[in-house]
Amino acid sequence: MSLIHIKDLTKHFKILNRREGLSGAFRDLFSGNYRTVEAVAGVSFDIEAGEIVGYIGPNGAGKSTTIKMMTGILKPTGGMLQVNGLMPYDNRIRQAQIMGVVFGQRTQLWWDLPVIESFKILKEIYKVDQKMFDRHMDMFNELVGLKALYSQQVRTLSLGQRMLCDISASFLHNPQVVFLDEPTIGLDISIKAKIRSVIKELNREHNTTIILTTHDLGDVEALCQRIIIIDKGKILYDGDIKRVNALFGAYRTLKLQIDDFTAATLQTLTGKLTEKFGAEHGISIAETEELWTDVTIDQARTPLSDVLNFVMSNFGVDDVRIVEISMENVVRKVYDGALK
Amino acid sequence: MKSYLAVLRGSFMVGLVYRFGFLFSIAGNIIYMSITYFLWRSIYQNRETLRGLTFDQTYIYVALGSAVFILLKTYVDWQMSYEIREGTVATYLTKPIDLQFYELFMSLGFFLMSLGAITIPTILLLVFVFRIEIPLGLGLAIFPFSLILAYLLSFCFDYFIGLLCFYTESVWGLSITKEILVTVLSGALIPLPFFPDVIHKILLWLPFQAIYYTPLTMVAQPNLGWGTFLPMLAVQLFWVIALFTLTRLFYNQAIKVLRISGG
Repeated sequence: MSLIHIKDLTKHFKILNRREGLSGAFRDLFSGNYRTVEAVAGVSFDIEAGEIVGYIGPNGAGKSTTIKMMTGILKPTGGMLQVNGLMPYDNRIRQAQIMGVVFGQRTQLWWDLPVIESFKILKEIYKVDQKMFDRHMDMFNELVGLKALYSQQVRTLSLGQRMLCDISASFLHNPQVVFLDEPTIGLDISIKAKIRSVIKELNREHNTTIILTTHDLGDVEALCQRIIIIDKGKILYDGDIKRVNALFGAYRTLKLQIDDFTAATLQTLTGKLTEKFGAEHGISIAETEELWTDVTIDQARTPLSDVLNFVMSNFGVDDVRIVEISMENVVRKVYDGALK
Repeated sequence: MKSYLAVLRGSFMVGLVYRFGFLFSIAGNIIYMSITYFLWRSIYQNRETLRGLTFDQTYIYVALGSAVFILLKTYVDWQMSYEIREGTVATYLTKPIDLQFYELFMSLGFFLMSLGAITIPTILLLVFVFRIEIPLGLGLAIFPFSLILAYLLSFCFDYFIGLLCFYTESVWGLSITKEILVTVLSGALIPLPFFPDVIHKILLWLPFQAIYYTPLTMVAQPNLGWGTFLPMLAVQLFWVIALFTLTRLFYNQAIKVLRISGG
């Protein structure tokens, strides 16, 4: 039997319809005007021991809600959910013993105390014996240089250091499954790479199952063999990363700030690009923020440098940025049938 | 149990980090004790006793009340409101611990901290500077036990308000209302015998009086004896068990409405 078994899982929230302004806020006090939101609308998948699974989707897709049900914080509205054969919510304390959890935006460490104290407290909470504790602390020291941080107050750690400590802490009791909810949020490239390699090592060490939610497709590319894409509470794709990789791996978005931008500029740009690179150019154009135009390019069909050269010589460009394709764009492409 | 002791140790250490904040509370206590001294002096002018209490008895009661006032505040309600709004409660719920005991032992760390940093210095000030003679005897001997029960009771109230935050998210109004109710109805400011007879009788049937009135009366009127003290302790114990159980049951309901936004 698989370690995590989920079948037709749903979670509904009742949300008060809030009205605008001060008078609206007052009227809300007496309002019974609720609507039901289906945060998770019938999700099914199985996860085997030892897998690293990327659980991704845009904001509000239902990722965190699913994680919170798997960790036993939230009670599912309907469907089947078992971790290691038990329903997490009904066996919260028992299940917590076999899980490790990191919520990227909050810490499980004691803010005011030196780092080592949090580990000592966790040792008692999870009833980790001294031998295992010493062995794991040595391992964390090798991986992230934890010893140098032992006496440092958690509040004085940098975000990256704190995250490395938090991830280490979630592996202290040798859990069967670790949930990492946005572990690289707000971190710069070099520390992201470090965190990815640490996660990979920890997974290898005890064959720990890892479920990773992230906005950063780089995380998924670096860590996961399998990826589950969720949007609006439903699963869009569940399978090998390779097929999805082809989808976003070759794509880059060219962000342009064009001189004297008007509504017509967008049309002119589209027209000229089609003229130059032909109808099957694999380029899509959208206006995002004010003054920024996004040109998303499939490099398998048209080299980015050609497009950049062409645009620079034909338009007055104030500023240019090149970014990897965003989660939202991947999801849009999946909707458009890119994986069919 | 060992895991909760580790939590207690941790929160005591957090208390040590903020030890200077505690020292200011002593200054506040000195001002309060001076004001109440003159207040009650003028009330007792030309009177030997009031409602059966002498000035000394009343002043010991009120001054000791101020010494234990901060001690018996757990701040668990404010703490939990913060944890629920910020979502840190999620990191507790994913650990093999019971939320009620976790919050209790967290607060006990601060209890020990303020016992050493505020209550004991204040009592020493009372005895050596204000020259108050605390009567030695049976009352004083059982006072510590009564105080622990009072703390557990105070914790139950605060934990209950904390659980309400699962519904309301904000704690302001609730906590302030609770604070005023407990302070007045428990006899923390004014000994219960000074209330009108009917109200006094009603208050004795409510749990509030077991927080301040019971332990303070034991010290202020130590000659009441076992015959009075034992039932008082029993009532305290009854309320602790009752409220501990009720809040446990309430937790099962409150946890269902939990929504942690973001992250």
